Amino acid sequence: MKQSWQAYDRKLDASLELNAHLLRITMLGRAQTAVGRLSWLLAVELLGALAALVWLVSFTVRHAGEARFAVPGAMLGLCALALAITAGRQFAVLRELDYGQPVLAIQSRLEALRLERLRGTLVALVLGPLLWVPALIVLVKGVLGVDAYVLFSQAWILANVLFGGAVLAGAVWASRRYADRMERSPRLQRLMRDLAGHNVNHAIGFVEELRRFGREPGSA
Amino acid sequence: MPDPATQGRFVALVNEHRKILYKVASSYARTPADRADLEQEIVAQLWGAFFRYDEAYRFSTWMYRIALNVAISFYRGETRWLRTVVPAEDSILQVAADEPGTEEDERLPQLRAFIDQLGELDRALIILYLDGHRHGTIAEILGISESNVGTRIGRIKQRLRRDFANHT
Repeated sequence: MKQSWQAYDRKLDASLELNAHLLRITMLGRAQTAVGRLSWLLAVELLGALAALVWLVSFTVRHAGEARFAVPGAMLGLCALALAITAGRQFAVLRELDYGQPVLAIQSRLEALRLERLRGTLVALVLGPLLWVPALIVLVKGVLGVDAYVLFSQAWILANVLFGGAVLAGAVWASRRYADRMERSPRLQRLMRDLAGHNVNHAIGFVEELRRFGREPGSA
Repeated sequence: MPDPATQGRFVALVNEHRKILYKVASSYARTPADRADLEQEIVAQLWGAFFRYDEAYRFSTWMYRIALNVAISFYRGETRWLRTVVPAEDSILQVAADEPGTEEDERLPQLRAFIDQLGELDRALIILYLDGHRHGTIAEILGISESNVGTRIGRIKQRLRRDFANHT
């Protein structure tokens, strides 16, 4: 086994060449990395969540005496706060990550981060269909100054809440049934696997594998 | 902005240890384009962390840590949807001919196929072992105990012997 590998090593010595020009382009950051883009995405997520939080707090305070506006405003504000905290924490973890540390330690941190993002996506996908009615009420009032309770009937609003619940139940069912067949569309498949909980289970499995790997074999 | 001397030193060190970059990238990436992409990710992380590199430690140990950490997370796909596909011909590393060793040594493809079957962590362990690192160095790179390294290598070798026996 080692002999085969050593022969491979010797032949690489002779045939492998470094493209110094491309290396320097990468060093100059002209070729952005996926990790760098993830940091940017988190920064944008954080700024968006903070802007939404400020606007929602102001909306809720302005309508503190009117429960029908204050309650959906506060609900959405709590979601924005949770999103800001999560994005901020993840951004900080990613920025401080030193890949020069031992593999097991870094992979444990990365997988914890991945698990947190997957759970966040799952929560967002679940809450999305349920929160859009409060979002509609708050946006129509906050931006247009129109009372959604007057504009739409209460029966219409209730029907939309129920419809959101039905969409959610249908999406979960379809994801569990069809997520693995969506290979032609990796992004949709990723979303469906997130919703079905497959990616979360996979990440939990890897966290357990990391724990086992760090333990002495045979120890309890 | 790092000075040209630091940049030159970095390029020289990466060139000196380019086999690490190639071996790790080709062990974790599935296609030539993926390998080119992974090499770029590893180099970007190496360069980004170069100011933290402590010369008291061997460059190869530090490079292995970064390369394996990037490769395992690349393989796990957290950032897959954020990647740009780098054409294989834009690879930082160019192999002069077809991948070497495959014709001359018929056991090598079998060994590569075996390594491909291993989980991400065992794959890292066996690459380090095959590259001739001592158990202490492997333990230092992976962050596990020396005795753990020894036991796990023993188990992988047993599996490999069984695998080779089944194929012959």
